[in-house]
Amino acid sequence: MRKVRITTSKGQSHMTETIAILFIFFVLVFFGILFYYKYSQVSLKQEKEELLGKRAIETTLKALFLPELICSNGEAEPEDNCVDMLKVRHANVTFRLHNQTYFDLLSYSKISIYKVYPESEIKEPFVLYDKPKPDWEKKEATYFVLTLRDELQGQDNYGFGYIKVEVYS
Amino acid sequence: MNKAQMEMVGLVVIVIMLTLGMLFLAIFAFKEGTEKKVFTREGLAYSSMSAVMKTTIDSSVCEGSFRPKIGQELLEDCAQNHQESPSGFSLYKCNEKHSCVFLQEIIGELLQETLGTWNKRYQFRSTLIRSSTSEPEELLNIVSVKGNCPKTRERDSSGIFPIQVRNAGLIENVLYLCD
Repeated sequence: MRKVRITTSKGQSHMTETIAILFIFFVLVFFGILFYYKYSQVSLKQEKEELLGKRAIETTLKALFLPELICSNGEAEPEDNCVDMLKVRHANVTFRLHNQTYFDLLSYSKISIYKVYPESEIKEPFVLYDKPKPDWEKKEATYFVLTLRDELQGQDNYGFGYIKVEVYS
Repeated sequence: MNKAQMEMVGLVVIVIMLTLGMLFLAIFAFKEGTEKKVFTREGLAYSSMSAVMKTTIDSSVCEGSFRPKIGQELLEDCAQNHQESPSGFSLYKCNEKHSCVFLQEIIGELLQETLGTWNKRYQFRSTLIRSSTSEPEELLNIVSVKGNCPKTRERDSSGIFPIQVRNAGLIENVLYLCD
């Protein structure tokens, strides 16, 4: 009678031990799954952000070197980091007229030029191109500082401003 | 090693694994909140410097209705008359100020209205090297409201924009940009 009781208590402790080990095992598996889920979510988001950032930079570079905007001097090399305000004032009309051509080049984005110096009465930026994605979730803005050549104000007149390129995803 | 010791080791291993798992989880959960902004800081530094150097000052600002360029006439004048600054002679008087004083103000304003509003830290430095044997003299040192960009911080540079000035030496201009 005594022998049977001892065996039962030993068996019970073994059972508890096995349950505890199984519990810890499942906790580990749960954490593993959670960790993997979180990791894949974060890496996917990062990849999306990187792609959007890359597209933002590509679009900015395309916009900076557009012959429709860049400062040119006859047949000489165009000036880098410079936009011609004479061209800028008419560029939005050109962009609107040839919408599809510029969409192939600039995709879903918005390009604006802001004048900082000399200060003018018109504070509004020159919006050259604006094509938002119909169901956009996020937009990434990239800035580049520029000189704004304005020959209407006199020869060799360079102002200071920046270009803002927003891309939609 | 007896059975009790082996169980103890197993338990310790499990605890370590759990701790590591939690740690990684915390790291990834934290990373999710910070938005990684991708942009070319070096390109921005170069474009800002290039634009500042090319900018011409409005004719209504300077005496004699001149339209001096920051990276040419004004910096040259500042280098040639640096010793007379802040209240002595300078060829260009914009806003009735010595060219060095005016440059310090105008470049500060231009950078603050662009890089400053985009929450960037920056430092613009102009130094005059009179000869290979003399110590470089500091002409301009413009620092953002948020502070400067020391070597210890991760920073990008516009590269040196040199200007040779007659009877003065060589001006080296550089813009550092950091987050």
